Amino acid sequence: MIEEPTPKPSFTLTDTDGRTYDFAAETEGKLTLLYFGYLNCPDICPVHLAQIAEVFEREPDVARETEVVFVSVDPDRDSPEAIREFLDNFDGDFVGLTGTRDELDAAQTAAGVPPAVLEGEGDDYTVEHAGWVIAYGADALNHAIYPFGVRQSEWVNDLQILAEIEG
Amino acid sequence: MRRTVLGLALLSVALLVGCQESGRGLLVSDVRVGAPAGPNAALYFTVTNRGDEPDRLVGATTDVAERVEIHETTMDDDGTMRMQAVAGVDAPINQTVALEPGGLHVMLVGVERLDEGESVDVTLQWEVAGDLDVVAEVVAPAETMADDHGQ
Repeated sequence: MIEEPTPKPSFTLTDTDGRTYDFAAETEGKLTLLYFGYLNCPDICPVHLAQIAEVFEREPDVARETEVVFVSVDPDRDSPEAIREFLDNFDGDFVGLTGTRDELDAAQTAAGVPPAVLEGEGDDYTVEHAGWVIAYGADALNHAIYPFGVRQSEWVNDLQILAEIEG
Repeated sequence: MRRTVLGLALLSVALLVGCQESGRGLLVSDVRVGAPAGPNAALYFTVTNRGDEPDRLVGATTDVAERVEIHETTMDDDGTMRMQAVAGVDAPINQTVALEPGGLHVMLVGVERLDEGESVDVTLQWEVAGDLDVVAEVVAPAETMADDHGQ
């Protein structure tokens, strides 16, 4: 938990239905979990999302209060359709966003994470990216950041506490 | 410290469930692959070298993927995650090495659809022990984490 919470960032991207998605407006008044990742990532991205999805299955009340926003930082490979399909493996309600490289860099900077870097040549490049989940309370403040390696029990505990924060 | 504790925890899990495969002094256990949500999947396992020679995982093959690579995810001081191919994974004598999320994994590139509960045949290629056939269990992605696995 962060002692002096920082405000939720403002940025606009495009969701998997092709609609404009104003992050601050769309998630207003809700516990929001923001994660930057990419679909070719087999290791930590699915684990984060799967852990959150498991908590939601166990705690439907928490799920109702929470918006999960996954931003793909790999627009060249991750089409909106592919992002939707990827997220549906975890939870059909997870929001998937994409944008131009400039828009994505701006979103990451606004959220206080170092913009992802593409490394390597051809189709097999890998993406260096911030591996943490950023949690904003219903009060639009960033109360916690989750690096990779959070236990499932911590997610259950923390999401219940975060969901109690009033807007 | 955390790594040591995890290593011991994994070892005890391995002892409880028994090792799945062994060959030339290598005990390979807890072989699992996260059900893929995207084009790639990650395979994890634990290996203990009870032989009298250091060994090294140099590759792997499986029919369910176009290609297999050994990868390591590392975290920078600022929290940025970086995933890169590595040439191999060392298995020193009398040590247990865990491939786990956020560290080492065998990446199945261009993997076919795999559902939880399925089994996947994988051949692990070792420098000394040679080819070792193992069976990986397809588990939910969250269950690839050592913390949660086997509980």
